[in-house]
Amino acid sequence: MTPQDPDRLTVPPDGQPHSEQPRWRQDFPIEWAQDAYISRRDFTRFMVLTSLAFVVGQFAILFQNFLRRLGQPPRQEIAGIDELPPGGTRVFHYPDPRTPCILVRLGESAFVAYEQQCTHLACPVIPRPETGHLHCPCHEGLFDLFTGRPLAGPPRRPLARVRLELQGSKIYAVGVEEALA
Amino acid sequence: MTATPVSNINIIEQFGPHLAYTKAANLDTGLEPDKIVQTHCCFCGQQCGLQLKVKNNEVIGFEPWYDFPFNRGKLCPKGVKRYLQGAHPDRLLHAYQLDKSAQGGFSPMAYEAAINRVAAEIKRIQSEYGPHAFGLLSGASLTTEKTYLMGKFAHMCLKTSNIDYNGRLCMVSAAAGNKKAFGIDRAANSWSDILKAEVVWISGANVAECAPITTDYVWQARENGAKIIVVDPRITPIARTCDLFLPVKPGRDVALFNGILHLMIKNDWLDHDFIEQQTVGFETVAQHVKQWSPPRTAKVTGIAEKAIHQAAEWWGTASTSFLMHARGIEHHSHGVQNVMGAINIVLASGRIGREYCGYATITGQGNGQGGREHGQKCDQLPGARDLGNPEHRAYVAGVWGISPDDLPPPGVDAYEIMRKIDAGEIKGLLTVCFNPLVSLPDNNYVRQQLEKLEFFVAIDFFLNETAHHADIILPGSLHEEDEGTVTTAEGRVIKINKAVDCPGEARQDWRIIQDIAKALDREQGLTFTSPAEMFDELRRASKGGVADYSGITYEKIERQHGVFWPCPNDDHPGTPRLFEPDSWNPVAQGKGPFYFADGKARFNVAEYSPPAEDVDAEYPIILTTGRVGSQFLSGTQTRRIGPLIDQYPEPRLEIHPLLAGRLGLADGDWTTVESRRGHCTLRARVLKTIRPDTVFIPYHWAGPKSANQLTISAQDPISKIPEFKVCAVRVKKADVPPAYASQLEAQQ
Amino acid sequence: MPVSNDKAFFIDPGRCIGCQACVQACTECDTHKGQSMIQLDFIDPLNSPQTGPVVCMHCTSPTCAEVCPADAIKITDDGVVQTARKPRCIACNHCVLACPFGVPKMHTQMNLMMKCDMCYDRTSVDLKPMCASVCPSQALFYGTWDELEKLRPRSRPVNSFQFGRQVIHTRVQMMIPKDEPVGHVDVTAAMHQSTIGHNIFEDILLENMLLEETS
Repeated sequence: MTPQDPDRLTVPPDGQPHSEQPRWRQDFPIEWAQDAYISRRDFTRFMVLTSLAFVVGQFAILFQNFLRRLGQPPRQEIAGIDELPPGGTRVFHYPDPRTPCILVRLGESAFVAYEQQCTHLACPVIPRPETGHLHCPCHEGLFDLFTGRPLAGPPRRPLARVRLELQGSKIYAVGVEEALA
Repeated sequence: MTATPVSNINIIEQFGPHLAYTKAANLDTGLEPDKIVQTHCCFCGQQCGLQLKVKNNEVIGFEPWYDFPFNRGKLCPKGVKRYLQGAHPDRLLHAYQLDKSAQGGFSPMAYEAAINRVAAEIKRIQSEYGPHAFGLLSGASLTTEKTYLMGKFAHMCLKTSNIDYNGRLCMVSAAAGNKKAFGIDRAANSWSDILKAEVVWISGANVAECAPITTDYVWQARENGAKIIVVDPRITPIARTCDLFLPVKPGRDVALFNGILHLMIKNDWLDHDFIEQQTVGFETVAQHVKQWSPPRTAKVTGIAEKAIHQAAEWWGTASTSFLMHARGIEHHSHGVQNVMGAINIVLASGRIGREYCGYATITGQGNGQGGREHGQKCDQLPGARDLGNPEHRAYVAGVWGISPDDLPPPGVDAYEIMRKIDAGEIKGLLTVCFNPLVSLPDNNYVRQQLEKLEFFVAIDFFLNETAHHADIILPGSLHEEDEGTVTTAEGRVIKINKAVDCPGEARQDWRIIQDIAKALDREQGLTFTSPAEMFDELRRASKGGVADYSGITYEKIERQHGVFWPCPNDDHPGTPRLFEPDSWNPVAQGKGPFYFADGKARFNVAEYSPPAEDVDAEYPIILTTGRVGSQFLSGTQTRRIGPLIDQYPEPRLEIHPLLAGRLGLADGDWTTVESRRGHCTLRARVLKTIRPDTVFIPYHWAGPKSANQLTISAQDPISKIPEFKVCAVRVKKADVPPAYASQLEAQQ
Repeated sequence: MPVSNDKAFFIDPGRCIGCQACVQACTECDTHKGQSMIQLDFIDPLNSPQTGPVVCMHCTSPTCAEVCPADAIKITDDGVVQTARKPRCIACNHCVLACPFGVPKMHTQMNLMMKCDMCYDRTSVDLKPMCASVCPSQALFYGTWDELEKLRPRSRPVNSFQFGRQVIHTRVQMMIPKDEPVGHVDVTAAMHQSTIGHNIFEDILLENMLLEETS
């Protein structure tokens, strides 16, 4: 029995041409060459769909970022005013348990808080209120305690500052200021 | 000396046979071999060409050698799997000595010390009892160079008459018959003369299982219109599709040949010109076969008369033909008579020495042809010369640089050597390439003699069953670890090429022999440094003899894909077809093509006598023995190759349903076969393709499974071949399975 | 490189001598890990030494491929039906049951069907398949049509098989006697007959034999 389709090697069991076969038989040809054959239409379809998928993905990421910024930052109690002497420090986690921050009492009523991760390679910085610095021991980076600006060593960006609010005798963290380069 | 040091089970556990299979490394896709070596198979006399793939000094597989003309790439399963005998766990890597305290009964010893001990024992035995008290049993799977060396070692170095070889169990009847009729012992034609034969007569040859490549030649002849006649007590694969099948009763072949000749004479299906001009002795033979009328022939052979008539007519009236036979007619106490009977009908037809007119015995062992020509027989010198002939002795002594008086007189055959051990005349034995405990008939007797020896040294690459009784075992070389020439069943001299080096302390057999000679201080003439040197001397030693190799060189062999002997000088191309009219040979000197002084072939009276042990009331069934296609000879190599054992794992007793029914046997039942000499319990295989008065056992297994526990050592008076093909047995169902079935069954 | 069309695989089961050289040679190939992709059948050991090698017939419309639910069996352009691909085969046995010639064998320990692929790694570089190279009686023959014609004057190749209501054409040719006036081989025609059509062997042995009464 010679195949009715000149391009095809085999004859399907019911003898009908390949174009009349059910979809699944057309999609899974038993001829090696047919199996490996990709039509222009299929190729184009694949390229377009895949590209589209990437584009949609990018938009999704953008959207997520946007949503994050729109949301209210959480308000978290950090410590009581009386718990820290002037020059004292406390480590806390804000806005989530994975982000360590450092609170320093500069004077009678001046408090300042930053994210503790050094902007160089994320080592935790150590406050030195006596010299007015935040010191990163990993590569001898220094930040200004009052502004968070990098003063010496490899860090180039200031530390992210945590906004504080005093209410009564408590100190609250109410947001993180995105550090601008 | 002596009984085995520990039980056979313990020896087997350490030394095998263990089965080798293809290793995982060799199944690595895309493993490229380091080199591919063209060589030949190590097993039967067909000597198929093949190529071995070598990597890291190990043979990892094969590739067909399509260009070698005899087989053109074809192989049987043994050739395919032979490489699994290399890198084998059972391989003897050291010399071993008998050691009762060792788990396996033998412990390794330093090679030098072993050689020295062997030499010391030889010296002691020969000085105490005389030179002939030390015997040698050699083999026909060695290269021709090594067989030449063994003959020289025995006759020149040890000066013992008592050397013989395992071809005594194989080719000697054909050799004697051919020599009596033609004066030369070689296949008369190369196999290409089969192709357009009109009748192919196959007697006593299980061609498809024992010489598989010949099957294609026979069936190609059939394609060209040939009729195939097969004479055999069993329907073997070649008989399955033959044109005429003659189910001869074992031991009665010569009666059939005489009966055929009787009918040829009666119907004048004779070539009178050929008979008158090229033969002598026809009248005497014609007179003798007058008594072999068809009814008498039928009664004796057990073949129906009409079949005999048909065979005679086809044979008698053909214009081309090829007659071939093998051990089926030769393994008899009148094997030589059988062969002469076959040759008689060939000569009467005149169809020999021409294209598509041929005759041959199918040599069974790898170098059965080369190994029976150059001096490792008890009565032979190189070039197929006679040890008893003064002229021959003088010539060879001249080549060897000694006086003819230094050569010993002719000795006795392999079985007689056993009897001499029994009689106390032989005290020491060296074996190489021979496993007599499995191969000789009546092996209970053989075992007793091995135990009587004062000293027994075996050279082998595995611990064969005979070597269980050895004092010292020296580690020899495999086929692929040496180079040399071999002569195929056709008479074609071909070259074996070395593929890998010997492992461990094993070394080429010829080095071991020369080391012994050196340790004996008698190394004159045994100081070769290579097989090529041995071959060169062999060429000179065979010059002028019937088996003249003097014009053959390694380079010529490679160029021509083999050279047919005789090849008497460098320009001679070799002789594929013998006995061509007007051909010259050194015996006839031009008077005729045959190797007698008058150049004529001889008709010989072929006397019928019944087998030495015919059936009787007590032992009413005929036992015949033979082979299977996946095993070779005593199985020392093939019983260690996993895939070959998987193909046919154990010897089965072939029995016809008529007989099995009477005995209450079903296929697969444990059955005990008993003869006057021993007994053997095997599983039955019931089939209709064997005579109902006959049973068959393949003999490749050892110990309790050995068929030769039953066979008889009755020998042909001329050739001394034992009567493996007929003895009398009784058969009964076994009450319980044999002891070996519950302990390492597969390995015994 | 595709297997050329001027060479073909010819099988003559009547010539098989049961030596299993083909099976042993097939196991030598590393691409299928030492497993043989062909097998030897013993047709009727009680009555005859007849054996038959079973090699894939490489049907032009392979039933095994059509029934494979995992799309594991493919046929290449040169008409050679490849064996099941290990990543896809689910060892469901559909092909084993569907093949009219009984070719595919399921290797349960490997969860994979394996069948002869005409030694594609050899034939695609113009070498003979292993089995056809070694077969001592050339029951398996691979060569040109001219060579075959010269060697087999008494037989002719057919490649058309009737299997029930299905007509199958194969790439592998089967040899039948030259004078047989058939266009195809009917695979199921002898299904209800005894294996050895005429009890040849019992007749021949006993017919050509004289037997004395043994006790």
